[in-house]
Amino acid sequence: MLLSPATGGNLTLTQRDRRFGYLLTAPGLAVLLLVITFPLFFTVFTSFYDYTLLTPNHDTFIGGENYQEAAEEEYLPGSLWVTVKFVLASVAIEFVIGFVVALSLHATDRFKTVYYLILLAPLLINPVVVGLLWRMLLHSELGIVNYAIGLVGIRPVSWLGDPAIAFWTVVLTDIWHQVSFMAILLLAGLSALPREPYEAARMDGASPLRCFFAITLPLMRPVIFVALLLRMIFAIKTFDIVFIMTKGGPGTATDLISYFIYRAAFFGLDIGRASAMAVGLLIIIIVLTALLYRYMRSLN
Amino acid sequence: MAEIGLRNLTKVYGQDVTAVDSIDLDVRDGEFMVLLGPSGCGKSTTLRMIAGLEAVTSGEIMIDGDVVNDVDPAERDLAVVFQNYALYPHMSVAGNLSFGLKLRKLPRDEIDRRIATTAHMLGIGDLLKRRPRQLSGGQQQRVALGRALVRDPAAFLFDEPLSNLDAKLRAAMRTELIKLHRMLGKTIVHVTHDQVEAMTMGERICIMRDGRIVQVGPPLEVYRNPADTFVAGFLASPPMNLLEARLGGQTGLDAVELPPVSLPLLAAHKEALRGRAGGAVTLGIRPEDLDVEPSAAGQGVVTVTVVAVEALGPEVILVGALPGGQEVSARLESDFAAPPGSEVRLHVDLERLHFFDADTGHAVTAG
Repeated sequence: MLLSPATGGNLTLTQRDRRFGYLLTAPGLAVLLLVITFPLFFTVFTSFYDYTLLTPNHDTFIGGENYQEAAEEEYLPGSLWVTVKFVLASVAIEFVIGFVVALSLHATDRFKTVYYLILLAPLLINPVVVGLLWRMLLHSELGIVNYAIGLVGIRPVSWLGDPAIAFWTVVLTDIWHQVSFMAILLLAGLSALPREPYEAARMDGASPLRCFFAITLPLMRPVIFVALLLRMIFAIKTFDIVFIMTKGGPGTATDLISYFIYRAAFFGLDIGRASAMAVGLLIIIIVLTALLYRYMRSLN
Repeated sequence: MAEIGLRNLTKVYGQDVTAVDSIDLDVRDGEFMVLLGPSGCGKSTTLRMIAGLEAVTSGEIMIDGDVVNDVDPAERDLAVVFQNYALYPHMSVAGNLSFGLKLRKLPRDEIDRRIATTAHMLGIGDLLKRRPRQLSGGQQQRVALGRALVRDPAAFLFDEPLSNLDAKLRAAMRTELIKLHRMLGKTIVHVTHDQVEAMTMGERICIMRDGRIVQVGPPLEVYRNPADTFVAGFLASPPMNLLEARLGGQTGLDAVELPPVSLPLLAAHKEALRGRAGGAVTLGIRPEDLDVEPSAAGQGVVTVTVVAVEALGPEVILVGALPGGQEVSARLESDFAAPPGSEVRLHVDLERLHFFDADTGHAVTAG
């Protein structure tokens, strides 16, 4: 009783700490609620209504009709397939290049800051700018790339006009933009690895390659997991590059799901149906995250 | 079996940071050699150079007479036990033990046999399936030791392997390592900053300071005859009392003066101090060579003012101030008690006085 606080009534120290914590975080939480949770719930809510840009209101509840229509979309499976290909290709290649770059940088002592800056540069550029930049560089008549390969006698390539090539052009642009993210995450992981097991392995007679497979890879697994997962989630949502460079074309060669949903909303004017697809995409990402997480947990 | 020889061994980091400064050392076959020194003295760097984990700047490392400077660590037939164990975190205990053997392409049944023997010897048989993070510090320590033992190398290099253990476990492991050495008879180089470890474990101690070797010898010899004030102040706790003094008396060589105290010099000391009459010296007195009780003959007496009395249980450390202001520690019987500020007469064992050059710190008594 002697020690009971002068203020705060009969609350314990822990309770008062907690109350003060809530007080401090309240403004931030309120903003988060507004900008993240509101759009999310609005989308989920809208997906159950006949909400179009011609009748932008929540007057007509139609239950799961939007979901059914979305599932029956003729071009949805194609777009999903393009997205899967895009995600797998870009993340896999980024991972390999990123790991090689990270390992090289990890072994470098001099000019590390310079390399960091060069590496970070693409990441700092807005994706829209990246799209514009590469669209100009790869322009079939005016682009410097076609000019350069022309100098060594290669015929101009229609980087964004040929369906088979356009997909890989978008993938490579995304890799150029995002590979540093992978490299820097992996590099951070490598820097945090303990040095001693490597010395023990040297005494045990392990070759560098053996060290990589027996020590580096297993120890890096959590970092690799996080890097892959984050990049996959970002890749699934890729929109800007496609929007700027190809508009999903030629044909449906680069029609990623996010662009597909965008078209449904703003060309098809059917916000309700687009919302339903967006919710579907969200569920896919959540399921994917959960699956990968459980898989990685089971490895330990 | 291995003899390890260091010749003019030097390690310089970058342009001008000399970690090890042209040291010479011979570790005999089957010897337990302790490299002792404060942090930054170059003892770990020396060990790492012997292991091959650190490149040699100049000089030679020899194992059984062969220069091994450019021999791959794995080919030197040495095993290291690291300070923080350096276990492979994602491998089981059995995996940690077998990794090196698999790399050496030993047959499966030989690997199994060796793991079983080592695990039995170290009492880690029931831990083989566990991961390092599921083990206590002491258990990890055993596994790290096991990983070295299982390879059956020519010599072992221990890099402060006990420093992460708590005091009780450390004492137990000290005993075990001594037993292990006796059983295996292999050469061991053990790096530590703990003088108790060095005194109890080493057959010989090599004391290092600022990248150089200060003294090499059996523990008691080093303890009794420290080569300089650094060794005198580093070994034992509390360390030797080092007092600024001056030789004096009628001939300038009859007594050692700590004004106003004057202690008579014995014949042996006079002999060693010849030529320094009237000069400044550093006087060294071990705390156990000070006592409240006069014992045999040959005692001098100093009166100190009690600064503190530290009761350690089996003994008491009295910290007292000499009339001139210098402080001394005395190791006394556990029943001693005196209030701070009171005066206590201490008897000095004059036969056991140590003298050091006041400038260089080198010992001037020959023993």
